[in-house]
Amino acid sequence: MRPKIRLSAAVVAALVASVLTACGGSGGSSDPGSATSGTINWWGWTPTDTATAQNYISAFNKQYPNIKVNYKLVNISDWVAALRPALASGKGPDVFDMQPGAYVTQFKSFAEDQTSLAQQALGSDWKSKVAPIGISGLTADGKLTAMSVGAVYAGMLWINGNLFKQYNLQPPKTLDEWKQVCQAFKSHNVGCFVQGAAQEGFDQDTLQSIANSVQPGLWTKASTGDAKWNDPGIVKTLEIWKDLFTGGIMQPGAVGYQQYPDSNNDFLTGKYAMVMMGTWYTQYATTKAMTAALSAAGVSGAKPFPILPIAFPDVAGAGNSSEMYGDADFGLAISTKSKSRAAAETFVKWMTTTTAGQQVIADQLNDLPALKSVTPDFDSIQLVDPASQKSPVQDLVTKVGNVTEPREALLSADVQTAILAAATSVATGKASPQDAANTLQQAAEAAGETFK
Amino acid sequence: MTASSVDEVGQRSVQSAGGVGGRPNQHRRRTHRPPGLPWILPALILSVGLIYYGIGYTGYISTLNWDGISPDAQHVGTHNYARIFHDPVFWAAVRHTVVFFVVTFVIQTGLGLAFAVIMHARLKLAAVYKVIIFVPVVLAPAIMAPVFRHMFAPDGELNGVLRAVGLGSLAQPWIGQTSTALPVIMFITIWEWTGVTFVLYYAAMTQIDPAILEAARMDGAGPVRTLMSIIWPEMRGTTVALAILGAIGALKTFDVPYLVTIGGPNYATEFLGTYIYRQTIPLDHVGYGAALSIILLVVALVMAVILQWAGRDRKARD
Repeated sequence: MRPKIRLSAAVVAALVASVLTACGGSGGSSDPGSATSGTINWWGWTPTDTATAQNYISAFNKQYPNIKVNYKLVNISDWVAALRPALASGKGPDVFDMQPGAYVTQFKSFAEDQTSLAQQALGSDWKSKVAPIGISGLTADGKLTAMSVGAVYAGMLWINGNLFKQYNLQPPKTLDEWKQVCQAFKSHNVGCFVQGAAQEGFDQDTLQSIANSVQPGLWTKASTGDAKWNDPGIVKTLEIWKDLFTGGIMQPGAVGYQQYPDSNNDFLTGKYAMVMMGTWYTQYATTKAMTAALSAAGVSGAKPFPILPIAFPDVAGAGNSSEMYGDADFGLAISTKSKSRAAAETFVKWMTTTTAGQQVIADQLNDLPALKSVTPDFDSIQLVDPASQKSPVQDLVTKVGNVTEPREALLSADVQTAILAAATSVATGKASPQDAANTLQQAAEAAGETFK
Repeated sequence: MTASSVDEVGQRSVQSAGGVGGRPNQHRRRTHRPPGLPWILPALILSVGLIYYGIGYTGYISTLNWDGISPDAQHVGTHNYARIFHDPVFWAAVRHTVVFFVVTFVIQTGLGLAFAVIMHARLKLAAVYKVIIFVPVVLAPAIMAPVFRHMFAPDGELNGVLRAVGLGSLAQPWIGQTSTALPVIMFITIWEWTGVTFVLYYAAMTQIDPAILEAARMDGAGPVRTLMSIIWPEMRGTTVALAILGAIGALKTFDVPYLVTIGGPNYATEFLGTYIYRQTIPLDHVGYGAALSIILLVVALVMAVILQWAGRDRKARD
């Protein structure tokens, strides 16, 4: 029987070895491949529609026709679950989106350091040519994990210009005016303000804007540990947040809504007149993007309507101006396991450091370009209603150029989750603003945030 | 193929080769009988290699503070387990699981039994009704989730119907408030799985001897008495099986709450499955998620032992 046992053992060993080999995947390749030809796979949660990504790729292919770029759109809620095993297995993308904050922490070990790429493309003084907000947030442990494509900023509201005009209403500037506007819309059976309060990122935007109304910069101080999350100003912020729900501003069931697709679709289909979105929404000021977005929202034959950015109301009544905040929207990281690294570098370099690539980004109005020398060409951009939109949109683009306050870059995933828990527990009446703030502070400490 | 059938095949092949029984043929059969290991190897690799290795590995990483990919995992002993018992979201998930199991099991059992009894009556278009009841079982939750999200939205179909019939005061943001989100998840689950309960009860009822029912009728038992005193006791085995399936299903619940409410609002529909996913994937707490998985495994094992014990007790009484 011994030969049989040996044979069986060999079969088992072979099977186990083959399984282990299959699980091990392939490692990185030392050969970077051709810089001007080949196929690269780009995974991203943004651009949120493949048509926009295809627009970028088409422009890239005019200069590099032999590099085929496959864009795979992954919903942001599935991003970590999809990307982590893909990168770990070595079968993932050559190029992937990177966002300041938690994603940099999670995926920095899979990203090539792009410092030399930046120096090669822009010279030794490359940092002076790129928006600083796009460098700091994407750098970890001295490694530039991704080159910023562009930045996004938040801290304002978008309104449906047609609905405000139809009911002869003015954009609100205070909390009371906001409530009155909502009452007026409600009397006409039109929704007022819609928010996906089930998603932490968008709750943070609203809370950060409220906090900036209470005490400018307080939110950032809490994010860096210079103030505590149960600071009286944060408690006041949560009280005002609660008032948005009880005062008839937030839509019913907001804590069960997701910003995408629920709130986005409701706003674009004209069910609600106001939404809390950032500069990435500027693209819907254009006829082309608005038409595509309406189609994606399931509205057939709908006529695009003009959307307008307005300042976040002074909800605390303290007279503080609406401070905006922002991060690099996304950078492009190159996988350390890419087998087409040279082609991937060509694509990333073109998208992030060339005037041609950045102009395409700028004119899309999804992101404000990373290169300081590039601005949107409003003469070639077709707005839905230039008469009402051109001035506020241009003002917005100008205003955000001076923004230095970070949006999410300083927050870990644990703290973001704790912020969502605080926001929803206050909104649903399960906790008082003070109790929720205390719990948030405890959670932040447990997550390793240190406070002075 | 079972061992006995293998022996029978072997015996037949030997006989057909010219043997007519007797010791020499028996010796040849033993000599040519194939070794057992190759037959069980696939199952052995699957169960030992994947399942038990997986459990063991999960047990190991439950003692780590680890994000799942970094090379420097930190050994924390039983810290993750100690943390679980002070985690309010974990206890909320346990409460939701218990409530979910009790409510869905009771209602599904009642509905499934009622449908089975009705379908055993001479009903016109019974085949059509059976299909209608069973169709939800084969529809993927991923397909139905957006439908239910729309149906229970503040301006969704349910509230539209309520307003249309003059019950607008009952209109609610059903999945947007903690008080109604869990009932919505239970409703969807009942809608989805009552078909299975119905089919099992329907099949079990066909096994009841018609003579017993006839005897009951002759003794003057009405439909309700017949149902309670004859049909229901005869269904005990099926009910126990459904209870086991329901309990397992409750412990494994993930798809419907994740797709419809993402475990919210404010953790109102968090289950063990969704919480393990939340901790392991979006939050990178792979060690903590593994500890939660081990707790889930222990709960499932305890439940299995209890149900097994209950089954033996029943046999002993019988």
